[in-house]
Amino acid sequence: MADKKFAAYLCAGCGLGEVLDLGTMEKVVKREGKMQVIKRHDVLCSADGVQAIRDDIANEGVTHVLIAGCSRRAKTEAFDFPETAMARANLREGVLWVVAPGTDHDEVRQEMADDYIRMGCAELKKMAVPTGNPNCASNKRILVVGGGMSGLTAAIEAAETGYEVLLVEKEPQLGGWAAKLYKRVPFREPYAEPQDTGLAELIARVEAHPKVRVHLASTLAETAGAPGRFAVKIATESGAVTQEMVGAIVQASGFSTYDLAKLPELGGGLPSVVDQAGLEQLAKAANGGVIQRADGQAVSSVVFVQCAGQRDASGTHLPYCSGHCCATSVKQAMYFKDANPDVDTVVLYTDLRMPGMGEDFYRSAQSKGVIFTKGQVSTVKAAGTGCSVNFRDLILNEEVTLGADLVVLATGQVPNSGVNIDLLAEPAAAEQTPTDEASATPVEPAAALPPSILNLTYRQGPDLPQLKAGLTDSHFICFPYETRRTGIYAAGPVRRPMDMLQATDDATGAALKAIQAVENAALGRAAHPRSGDLSYPIVRLEGCTQCKRCTVECPFGAIDEDERRFPVFNESRCRRCGTCMGACPVRVIAFENYSVDTVGSQIKSLDMPDEFSERPRILLLACENDAYPALDMAGVSRICYSAFVRAIPVRCLGSVNTIWITDALNSGWDGVMLMGCKRGDDYQCHFVKGSELAHYRLSKIDDTLTQLSLETERVASFEVAITDSRRVAALINDYAETIKRIGMSPLKGFN
Amino acid sequence: MTAPIATSQTILVVGGGISGMTAALEAAECGRDVVLVERSPTLGGRTALLYRYFPKMCHPTCGLEINLRRLKANRRVRVLTMTEVAGITGRRGDYQATLKIRPRYVNETCTACGDCSAAVSAEIPNPYNYGLDKIKAAHLPHVMAYPQRYLLDPSIIGTADADQAKAACKVGAIDLEMQEETVQLAVGAVLWATGWRPYDAAKIQPYGYGRFPNVITSVEFERLADPSGPTGGKLLRPSDGKEAKNIAFIQCAGSRDENHLRHCSRICCMATLKQTQYVREALGDTAQSTVYYIDIRSIDRLEDFYQMVQRDATVKFVKSKVARIAQADNGDPILHGVDTEGYHRYATAHDLVVLAIGMEPESNAIALPQDVITDSSGFIEGSPDGGMCGAGSASSPLDVNRSVQSATGAALRAIKVIYQTASEEA
Amino acid sequence: MHALRTTGHQTIPAVAARYRNNFLKEVEAHVEDGEWVKMCMQCGVCAGSCPLGAHWEHPPQELFMMIRAGKRAEVLTSDAMWMCTSCYNCVVRCPRKLPITQIMHGIASYAQELGLAPEVQPTRDFSIQFWKNCTKTGRVNEMKLTVGLYFKDGLVAGIKQVMNMLPVALGLMKAGRLNPFELLRGHSPKDQKGIAAMLKRARAIEAQRAPVTH
Repeated sequence: MADKKFAAYLCAGCGLGEVLDLGTMEKVVKREGKMQVIKRHDVLCSADGVQAIRDDIANEGVTHVLIAGCSRRAKTEAFDFPETAMARANLREGVLWVVAPGTDHDEVRQEMADDYIRMGCAELKKMAVPTGNPNCASNKRILVVGGGMSGLTAAIEAAETGYEVLLVEKEPQLGGWAAKLYKRVPFREPYAEPQDTGLAELIARVEAHPKVRVHLASTLAETAGAPGRFAVKIATESGAVTQEMVGAIVQASGFSTYDLAKLPELGGGLPSVVDQAGLEQLAKAANGGVIQRADGQAVSSVVFVQCAGQRDASGTHLPYCSGHCCATSVKQAMYFKDANPDVDTVVLYTDLRMPGMGEDFYRSAQSKGVIFTKGQVSTVKAAGTGCSVNFRDLILNEEVTLGADLVVLATGQVPNSGVNIDLLAEPAAAEQTPTDEASATPVEPAAALPPSILNLTYRQGPDLPQLKAGLTDSHFICFPYETRRTGIYAAGPVRRPMDMLQATDDATGAALKAIQAVENAALGRAAHPRSGDLSYPIVRLEGCTQCKRCTVECPFGAIDEDERRFPVFNESRCRRCGTCMGACPVRVIAFENYSVDTVGSQIKSLDMPDEFSERPRILLLACENDAYPALDMAGVSRICYSAFVRAIPVRCLGSVNTIWITDALNSGWDGVMLMGCKRGDDYQCHFVKGSELAHYRLSKIDDTLTQLSLETERVASFEVAITDSRRVAALINDYAETIKRIGMSPLKGFN
Repeated sequence: MTAPIATSQTILVVGGGISGMTAALEAAECGRDVVLVERSPTLGGRTALLYRYFPKMCHPTCGLEINLRRLKANRRVRVLTMTEVAGITGRRGDYQATLKIRPRYVNETCTACGDCSAAVSAEIPNPYNYGLDKIKAAHLPHVMAYPQRYLLDPSIIGTADADQAKAACKVGAIDLEMQEETVQLAVGAVLWATGWRPYDAAKIQPYGYGRFPNVITSVEFERLADPSGPTGGKLLRPSDGKEAKNIAFIQCAGSRDENHLRHCSRICCMATLKQTQYVREALGDTAQSTVYYIDIRSIDRLEDFYQMVQRDATVKFVKSKVARIAQADNGDPILHGVDTEGYHRYATAHDLVVLAIGMEPESNAIALPQDVITDSSGFIEGSPDGGMCGAGSASSPLDVNRSVQSATGAALRAIKVIYQTASEEA
Repeated sequence: MHALRTTGHQTIPAVAARYRNNFLKEVEAHVEDGEWVKMCMQCGVCAGSCPLGAHWEHPPQELFMMIRAGKRAEVLTSDAMWMCTSCYNCVVRCPRKLPITQIMHGIASYAQELGLAPEVQPTRDFSIQFWKNCTKTGRVNEMKLTVGLYFKDGLVAGIKQVMNMLPVALGLMKAGRLNPFELLRGHSPKDQKGIAAMLKRARAIEAQRAPVTH
């Protein structure tokens, strides 16, 4: 385009001017980079330096800026030109600080700097300023699925912050489990007595709020669309369906109790054995009076068995701890003690888990005379009109048989997470994909699957992906709401087991994320972790071969297929990781500022030394979140590494298209390193499978290498963490040694 | 420094750790204006000083990097470091905050080149390694520091070192005349994300912290394990620099104890289970970790991490609150107590003892506005009118994941205040 | 102060109710500071803190668990609580601030009251001697207490003990801290009758406490 104007600014500060030959670089910029404006400044990030750039943008019509100086992670406040395309040549953290000092290294250091200049110019040429998703939509209504404590909280918090809310509850009334409780555990000091649930007041607030509309006895028959434009079909039991538009979804579908029948050894099924929910029912009926069993007998002795069917490492029962049950049993023991202090109440636990101020509540129960002991229960059997509990008292180190009128089993929460989409069969097996969705997982018979909660029309399945054990939790410690379905946030016990206080907190957080999703969607911006990113995948459908790799591999289920099996990009669901771009064999997917070309042109821009130079060139594609910062920090810590390496940051290893690697090898690069995050069960990739996908794609590269008569060592991938600044340097140096050993690439000079 | 422009539509977030950063970013990404103030010279808080997180064993700095990138990309958050809240007056929707900004002696033109650091000779105990080593008096806090800007420790101001630092700076970033500034700010809502501090271990007299060099705290152990820590990631014990192989972890060091902290600090069990894996990582099958505990509180889905550690042959569990520690001539701490499961008395020597130190709210050490209500341990509930509330571990002893959850919810509560204020004014 | 009393022996119920309120409530009613027993969280710091711990059958934490488990006979016939020397190590370290020392003495005292204390128990024997001695006049007569203790196991044993301790006694006499003539009469407080009345009243108050029930 005629109106593009390219400018390069070389910084001489931080010692760059003393150690590097800026004159040479200016020549490179001019002759090879073909930049139209070339300037040098002693301290480019100073007010003066930045103003010079601003002036050129304002007065000279500069549209594309190359900053040759420090890393793209540094001085971002200074180099902030939102309307201008910008590339950064990392001469400070990437050259000056990592190449061994001394004149011996002057030549290789200068070559490295010159190459980064070439690469910066090449990248800049291919870049455009992102304009924002053109298919953005601005419905800002929040759909809340589930009318229990979590759902009600999310609804009222969003409504009171000014957002319309649609609340869908499958039961004919609001309240969920909370409505079935006699009382709840206290939320604030004093942590001494069971409290009223406060549910009636909350329901009244929700029902009275003009911004909330409630659909009772209703479920979601279908959810289609994307943030800002979800179209949901709400079905009632009678079969009537209404369609509504919403912008984001909070899924607060709650939990079910673990089936007592699965615990026959603990007396599950006996009339004198109940779970905690059953005890709430008895307490509600007693309403502060003496608690009676279902058969009408007053309970004079009760035993609480903690962790019933939970914390099970054998795979038979729930593997996790439900977190709330210790406090719940303590509260329930108080029901008995408050009604009649003479009732014998014993709590048998292996670890009493009442964190935070729960310690006070525990103390309160003790002062009421509830007896606690560390005991491992083996069996609960019918005995007389009640039952006998056999356990090992771990403190007194003896087997005990204890009679009780009633036994309460503290069973766990089972999340109502709908369909486990990992168990769904691929509709039509996509070729060459390592993802779980497409792997040869045996197909569960449809009858075994629970009903879907959301009934998403997404190509990757009807519900939220599950993390483990049916929980729809985020995989990330720092980002508990980082879901794999943009604009849909799980809240409460469906996300992970939790107590009521945590669930209300969680629902408030999820409501915020939903609000954020609709605000971002309306502006065409990406959601976390590339929040605010205005770039989006642009696809040249005319070149598409309908191979479906992008639709299968997208970690966020953003891409559907149309009836002709072409991919349909839902940009508002997209998180801009570029996995689709990496997957595409015909390279028709690109972002305005990140594409096969922006990286490919850098790879091809080098002044490649010849085969006999003994100066190999190693391409390093580094994940911008962990590996590239680790390289930067190696620089900050002045840890040196081989000057033969040239690093290019990538959004995610998942975005690495193998054409880059074959192009590099064909262009005479001697080796290619990929550095990404840890993969596997405890993967650390924030785009879920990027690292795994890259690894998988690389496994296919070996054939290509063999065809080119190249050693397989010429391409290598590494898992690195952001703390690995020392290690990345060592990996580079080791790899440089490997290249030295196997020799220079024979492909130099053939293209 | 010029005062940021703020109005009743601005949210003030106090504390730049992970909770404060989260609250600020989540609100800003909803389109709200935020001023984020942090007392220390860098954002990141205590999480930046952790080596790994449980249960994934991933690195806190990874999340910090993402949050910093979010911050750099967002114009709605103004960050003020070295800044404390001196006072807040007013009410929900209409607060006047007085901020005190300590002099950094280095201005925004700093390029983080490091020339000043090279020019000074004075060293101070490194606060980012809990004083386990020293750092130059002109320094960048750590490699992930944001803002990426050096500072001069006040102790060298007026000395030749300060002049040398100034002379060494080629960009004129060092300003030795910098004074403390006071800034007034109008804000609509305030989130207290002031976090936690490790309980003073020396107060637990029978454990000998401060008297026995080989008794350290869990936060110090994080620094030992970290490759960028004082020992380069080696588990070297303080008394003689020998590699510690047989390590005791004492749970509830200060927590669940009416003589110290009456609450359970929640994180310490999981932190210890994680740290046993540092030992394993360093020493393989020759590692020996012993966990002395009352109850192991690996709550919810974190349970599987506990089960994994239970299967680890290098880790032993003893249900016992250790009674006291003595020191052998060779520096080994000797733990005395009783295993309560069946009553077994022990006197066991270890190479190193790590106290799983409890969480005390940092706000216990700062003056909160009158109408901020705290619980009996000092955790912040908020003001009765909802205009101010706690976020993250300032509000309850929480792990990182739950702190972020709490901070996200707190961000909405603040936005609600702003929204309702605007609606009332309209 | 909970006075030691030597009342008649009691039979122990054959089967104590396990993990019931009964024994815990009995302890709360009859043992000084007994209401604290239920507050123990079984951390074991008291057990590890006791300097005489290695010589105990049951440390306090275990004894408290036994009370909660209803192990009445084992608790009351144990010699554990008699071993307490009142060093208060456990009390200062207890995270629940239980007055463990007081409870231990309280349980001992209650066992003695019920006649369940061990037959041979030097601490108990000393306590009885001490109590008798000091309630007689209202003031402890050290000579009589010492001699009484030395000769409690017979004449020969008594003489041996006296010979053993003679150098100490001579030292004390030299320093004016021991007067052998106290053996004959000793001195007593001014208002002996008042003290007797006070003790009588204290016994009456104790007798009013809830009767022992099982």
